[in-house]
Amino acid sequence: MVQLVGSLLKELADSLSSCKVLVVGAGGIGCELLKNLVLTGFKNIDVIDLDTIDVSNLNRQFLFQKKHVGKSKAQVAKESALQFCPSANITAYHDSIMNPDYNVEFFRQFMLVMNALDNRAARNHVNRMCLAADIPLVESGTAGYLGQVTVIKKGMTECYECQPKPAQKTFPGCTIRNTPSEPIHCIVWAKYLFNQLFGEEDADQEVSPDTADPEAAWNPEETAARATASEKDGDIRRVSTKEWARSTGYDPIKLFNKLFKDDIMYLLTMDKLWKKRKAPTPLDWQQLENSGHPQGESPTTSGLKDQQVLDVWGYCQLFQHSVESLRSQLQEKGEGAELVWDKDDPPAMDFVTAAANLRMNIFSMNMKSRFDVKSMAGNIIPAIATTNAVIAGLIVLEGLKILSGELESCRTIFLNKCPNLRKKLLVPCILDKPSLNCYVCASKPEVTVKVNVQKTTVLSLQDKILKERFGMVAPDVQIEDGKGTILISSEEGETEANNNKFLSDFGIRNGSRLQADDFLQDYTLLVNVLHTEELERDVEFEVVGEAPDKAPPPQSNQEEVNSITNGNKDSAQPSTSSKAAAADDDIMIVDSDEEGGAPSSSAAVTTSTKRKHPDPETSETSTKRPRTDQSAAAAATDNDDDDIIALD
Amino acid sequence: MIEKEDPVISEEEAAQYDRQIRLWGLDAQKRLRGSRVLLAGVGGLGAELAKNLILAGIKGLTLLDHEQVSEESCRAQFLVPVSAQGQNRAQASLERAQNLNPMVEVHADPDRVEDKPDDFFLQFDVVCLTGCSRDLMVRVDQLCSQHNIKVFCGDVYGYYGYMFCNLGQEHHYVE
Repeated sequence: MVQLVGSLLKELADSLSSCKVLVVGAGGIGCELLKNLVLTGFKNIDVIDLDTIDVSNLNRQFLFQKKHVGKSKAQVAKESALQFCPSANITAYHDSIMNPDYNVEFFRQFMLVMNALDNRAARNHVNRMCLAADIPLVESGTAGYLGQVTVIKKGMTECYECQPKPAQKTFPGCTIRNTPSEPIHCIVWAKYLFNQLFGEEDADQEVSPDTADPEAAWNPEETAARATASEKDGDIRRVSTKEWARSTGYDPIKLFNKLFKDDIMYLLTMDKLWKKRKAPTPLDWQQLENSGHPQGESPTTSGLKDQQVLDVWGYCQLFQHSVESLRSQLQEKGEGAELVWDKDDPPAMDFVTAAANLRMNIFSMNMKSRFDVKSMAGNIIPAIATTNAVIAGLIVLEGLKILSGELESCRTIFLNKCPNLRKKLLVPCILDKPSLNCYVCASKPEVTVKVNVQKTTVLSLQDKILKERFGMVAPDVQIEDGKGTILISSEEGETEANNNKFLSDFGIRNGSRLQADDFLQDYTLLVNVLHTEELERDVEFEVVGEAPDKAPPPQSNQEEVNSITNGNKDSAQPSTSSKAAAADDDIMIVDSDEEGGAPSSSAAVTTSTKRKHPDPETSETSTKRPRTDQSAAAAATDNDDDDIIALD
Repeated sequence: MIEKEDPVISEEEAAQYDRQIRLWGLDAQKRLRGSRVLLAGVGGLGAELAKNLILAGIKGLTLLDHEQVSEESCRAQFLVPVSAQGQNRAQASLERAQNLNPMVEVHADPDRVEDKPDDFFLQFDVVCLTGCSRDLMVRVDQLCSQHNIKVFCGDVYGYYGYMFCNLGQEHHYVE
């Protein structure tokens, strides 16, 4: 006689109450998941989240109430969950999962790890930790009405990084600085401007006109001449934007006239740019102030205040007020202070709204409401409770299969917005086997990277290539030169002197091999270096074997497309507006809320390719497809795998 | 027809509902805000329903359940406190349900759904029946269709469940 405890077999029920599980993330999916785990009978649960509660979380993260705003998500989630099962043993960590404290030993405590994340960097990291510890991982993601769950088990299934995921869309520097043609270009520019004026200045986030723009030159020699000229010193232009702003006392009107009049007039002198494009029209503060502008609110009070689009003078004033507020914030923080952009900080958001709109106006684009700018600037992914509830339910069901030892019955499951031809809203697919040349889970992972060894610094190798692109957290690199020369040490300060040197300074050239290790992730990657002098503008490196980034079609607001986004994935920044331990550093369709300082001119734009299957992450549509069972063709009447569908 | 009673969305609502307004739009949010929903049955399925509806920001939700809280109730759903055994299930669930979103009017009704007269159902825009008998579902479905009230029925049995909805002869929607 089979013994049941509720709907569960007794053996399973027993193992639930004794095993230990880890939930990574206590947000939308995390809250629902915690509730489900506790009610299902799991007794030992660890939950970790670095973030704090925000009012915008309350429409779905139901373990939190208004009174909890500002508090640790993991902590409050634990307390609320304990309410409905006081006997549960829940441990909460208000911390980043990428903290080295959470090493392989830590992960080995658990029988099951479940992700409830919103950014790619953390997902990559947990993926590696679970591979290293050989613990099954249930991965998931949601965006709007769409959701996805999958299972990752070392040696048995694809790991999270087996399928290359398209990198977040970036825009060329000259588009941002010289020839924006879409609102998003202006928004990215405004965010760069924020950093240049108030935050951490970044050489990749220039806002001034780009004199070395190849499009501006009438002949190729001119480009080279301009490039050299702009690199040479001795010009007032060489003063950093921040220094200049400081010298004016952050005078909003002076700033305005430089950015929206003088710099635009300079662009106009680069006449070749405007041969086939509509030329920008500079703005003058005085003129705008003088010209009559209708006072009073627009009568559309039935809309959200944020959804109104102001007139140009309105954005001038918004610019002025936000600059003044941010200036005060800087002063309060003292000498050498830097602000970090946060979409939930009103003056910061106001500033970007104003600056972006003024620029849009200059370049003849229709201006956008603060509401819309916030979506784009903040990489916000619309979210509701129900989708997360469904996905969390599926996570537990997959988890039960795993704990019952039924890994073969695990599936990737997609939650669609509308039923498919077979009237299914939930579509399961067979899990793929590991990719033999996966640069993470293959037995000896290897990649080939094209760089200009004379122009790429050791720091770039560390930050842009190993950390950002290959997901390492604390890389150690040695050159395979027979001497095992150490290029980068994860120990702080040890190899700092190497940072600004070029790879070629160490004898690295075409065909060199580097061994990169991340000891925390128990991960070794062999990097083959190919030297090239022909990389695209603004591209620092290229991974061989990957398709180059293509510009996706402009993304419409909510919609669709089978792209799951959950958090601003690529930037490795966690999704919320937390100022917590986000030191390390993380979109789509809309994506989750934001990043502190996105390293590139990234915008969360989804690639809207039809029929591709969503990735647990966000916007990226993976090449992953649901596959039929081997016998699917013949198994039309096979009730068992009735739900496995072959889609093209 | 659902009236948009108050066209103005407050700052508080705009902030709290921001992420869902960005999904289904302000107009949809206003319609939700004007809707009154009846939920019969506050077991596991009902609790999930209650949570999702309340978080969405409807105008009012009535929790209708004549059952008493048993030991199993606390394991089945998360709205009933472990200390509430013996109490009426709807009333025991009220506090936590209300705390999910103070902007929604949540009521508890301990009566039997079968004992409710026809006009009771007519005060709602949407009626949700969980764990109800077929007879009742047929009766309510027929009654509500005549008055353009949407009806949703559902139940759960272990790993299985079903949902049925009747949105009327002519249901307009936007995608």
